[in-house]
Amino acid sequence: MMEKKKILEEGLLELYLTGELSEELTDAVEEALEQDKSLKEHFDALEADFERMGMEQAIAPSTAVKIRLNNTIDQTKTTKTNWLPLSIAAGFALIFGLSTFWLYVKWQNAESNLSTLQSQTSQLQRQVGNLESEFRLTSNRFKSINNADVLPLVLYGNQKAPNGKAVAYVNHKSQLVLVNPKGLPSLPKDKTYQMWSDVNGEMINMGTLNTDNELVPLKYIENAESLNITIEPAGGSDHPTVEELVSYVIL
Amino acid sequence: MKNSFEDHEVITRLISGNDTALYQLYDKYSGALYGVILRMCRDRTKAEDLLQETFVKIWNSIDTYDASKGRFYTWAYRIARNTTLNSMRTKDKLIQTDDLSVYDNKETNEEVPDYTELKGSIKTLEPHHQKAITLVYYRGYTHKQAHKAMGVPLGTFKSYVRQALKQLRETYTKKLVYIWIFLELMA
Repeated sequence: MMEKKKILEEGLLELYLTGELSEELTDAVEEALEQDKSLKEHFDALEADFERMGMEQAIAPSTAVKIRLNNTIDQTKTTKTNWLPLSIAAGFALIFGLSTFWLYVKWQNAESNLSTLQSQTSQLQRQVGNLESEFRLTSNRFKSINNADVLPLVLYGNQKAPNGKAVAYVNHKSQLVLVNPKGLPSLPKDKTYQMWSDVNGEMINMGTLNTDNELVPLKYIENAESLNITIEPAGGSDHPTVEELVSYVIL
Repeated sequence: MKNSFEDHEVITRLISGNDTALYQLYDKYSGALYGVILRMCRDRTKAEDLLQETFVKIWNSIDTYDASKGRFYTWAYRIARNTTLNSMRTKDKLIQTDDLSVYDNKETNEEVPDYTELKGSIKTLEPHHQKAITLVYYRGYTHKQAHKAMGVPLGTFKSYVRQALKQLRETYTKKLVYIWIFLELMA
């Protein structure tokens, strides 16, 4: 802090009074005035003398000046606004606006997250459903195959289907027949494999075999002596085309 | 001593945009400020314009006034002084490195009308003290310019100002004592 003695000796208060000091010195003098009560008293007295001198040297201006001032102020008054409360209000409004916007953005994000989650959940549910049904199907097939009552029979293809092979699972107890035709050579679109049971020399239709499926359930025919596979026109026939016999197995 | 309580209240109203407060301050201080402006520019019409400009500036920038740093009069005086000096610089349109030349021109054909003469207690001061006070407070000279104008060292000039102010205070005090004695005698 600048010393009181220095300020007084250098006449800095007088210079401060008329606003002649540099910004730096003004700050220094103001700081000293704030902290040194006796210096402040000194300055107060100086100001009082200065004002008294000013009043003594006063010259009355013409009344026209006040009238002109009045007019000027009236004009500016409409434009002069007290900005402080307005700016505080504007500040609050801005904060409110920004926070509202922020909350809105958050809310929108949450909404979209929620809908994404919902669609993911329903997708998962669908997948789980599919898996469950597939699992049930597979385990049913497995149960129906891997069973002591089931008789697995392999049907090897003749010269019409060389290296062809189908597996039939026959359960006499529950009267079910399942056939895996995957091993048979694939046919043109207008043809299909069809299976027949031989009962007392009569061929009875058991159903067609689509080689795309792994296990095809077929009709169980009682007292069948053999199982036969023929190639028939697409959709199957009522009577087998014996010339097109591909494979057979004796029961 | 701070502003009177009355001033404080008026200034508060002025800050809140009350123009009546401005006219109250005008009634109180316009004479003193006009005294300063007129003695500086020595042109009655110009001085009246500058006085008006000063009060418009006060009206527009009252919220920058800090009462804890000094009296309203001191603050208004600075505005009046700067407004006048700026207008004189612009008017003279002199290309100069030293502001003093503005005054040098004036100084040569100085015809000081009666209304710019100082009055009252200042006249009881010694001539060099009077001149020091006049230059600094009523002509808008900086201390640096004024000591050159008077042809004395800066330190000496500063002590002139201090002594002058001190003597003025003593004069005021004496006056107060006389008034007090007078009132006592009247009682």
